[in-house]
Amino acid sequence: MLAIIDLFGNSLIAAALLSVAIGIIGSIMLINRYNYLAASIAHGSYGGVGLALYFSLPLLLSTTLFALALALLLAFLTFKEPKRLDILISVIWAVGMSLGIIFSDLTPGYHSDLLAYLFGDILLVPSSDLYYMIVVDIIVLLFTLRYFHYIIAIAYDKEFAIARNLPVKMIHTLILVLIALTIVMSIRSFGLILVIALFSIPPFIAEKLTKSVQAMMVVSGVIAFLLIVAGLWIAYFFDISATAAIILLASFIFLLFFKGSK
Amino acid sequence: MQSAIKIDHLYFRYDKEYVLEDISATITDKEYIAIIGPNGGGKSTFVKLLLGLLTPTKGKIEIYNTTPDKSRELIGYLPQNIHFNLDIPLQAREVILQGRLSAKKRGFSDKDFQILESLAQNLHIAHLLDKKIGELSGGERQRVLLARALATKPKILILDEPTAAVDFKTQKEIYQLLQELNLTKIVVSHDINILLQGVDRVFYINRKLYIHEHIDIDIKPKEGHFCEMELFEQLGGEHACNH
Repeated sequence: MLAIIDLFGNSLIAAALLSVAIGIIGSIMLINRYNYLAASIAHGSYGGVGLALYFSLPLLLSTTLFALALALLLAFLTFKEPKRLDILISVIWAVGMSLGIIFSDLTPGYHSDLLAYLFGDILLVPSSDLYYMIVVDIIVLLFTLRYFHYIIAIAYDKEFAIARNLPVKMIHTLILVLIALTIVMSIRSFGLILVIALFSIPPFIAEKLTKSVQAMMVVSGVIAFLLIVAGLWIAYFFDISATAAIILLASFIFLLFFKGSK
Repeated sequence: MQSAIKIDHLYFRYDKEYVLEDISATITDKEYIAIIGPNGGGKSTFVKLLLGLLTPTKGKIEIYNTTPDKSRELIGYLPQNIHFNLDIPLQAREVILQGRLSAKKRGFSDKDFQILESLAQNLHIAHLLDKKIGELSGGERQRVLLARALATKPKILILDEPTAAVDFKTQKEIYQLLQELNLTKIVVSHDINILLQGVDRVFYINRKLYIHEHIDIDIKPKEGHFCEMELFEQLGGEHACNH
């Protein structure tokens, strides 16, 4: 038993830290229906990975800056071009990924670690990433505590929030910035492609089980942690990819709840 | 009487064609106005202009001698049903308290909770406060949203289709409640029953504004069914009714 826990090492700490962000930011994403925006930032962030490879930059720094740029661009477009937002989100998604692919192609040598950025591996999270996760979790917590009532007022009825002069643009922009940071903190664990599933499924389940957004955030975080740990066990016993096992397990439970909620 | 809202030669267009044309009116303090008109006639656009959510293409609006975007905190607003996210796990009390938020106020004080309790008593919704907003019936939800609009302590109350998707009994309750409120009230409605609820004036909007000072309109059904278009003709519209 202890040997298994030792084997999981950083991944259990990463699971706990990721669960905090998933519980809070995942819930905010879901109640605002920002999952498509978040998926665009996640996939588009691959451009940051490509730039890091080509210019030999630190991966976390490059991807963070790139994801933040995408978040700010999307925040701007949400208000500037609301009727064309869907197509703009899709284009940003595709352009970011294409930039990542081109810069990777232009970088000499074979890059076996590229797949890790796309699909992630929570068993290989380095200790340095844990510090990044702690910092992002603290920022997410402080933001949520400060602006909680604004966040839910805007999510429930944006028009009323604007009519009350609430800082809708600022809150929307900050939410997208935090989504970008939490996506980057999850890259090495779940990859750019799979991360959205983990930020969507636990909050969806929690939404059905709770009567307040605060409770939804807590329950969502707990569900995320349990799913990650259960997925790690399944991966260990069947000798399969931990990330894929976690996402498949989460998706299976999602289907049960989705069917039950109809 | 002090004027609450002054509208001076207002024009608005989204694209090439004007949605609202040359609208001028003055609404006095404590007046009760019903706004009716056909779909796409510009009613909701008019409300958004009053709220400062849209900017006039030409002309101007003054609310208590200032621009709409600077007077938002004087207005209690009940938007149309279509805007709400009903999946959020949010209790009715939290929705009502949202009316106490403002640009400078992101939390709640004891006074806010007292206002909540008082509104809940007056609107007979105390039993709904702990329920999830998505689980309320259409009528219950409208009463909660009316409480949220009143929680802002407004001088002007603007309601956009408050009786849409509610049963007849709730409609009556909402109209009765509105009559009791000593505020400037502007109610946009598809429901022609609004004309029988003691309103002071009717604003018929179909690109242009037709103001009716006295309600002397036959709204009884003819030949077994009521023709809304016939009413609109009487109010100034250009529709034909095909019986």
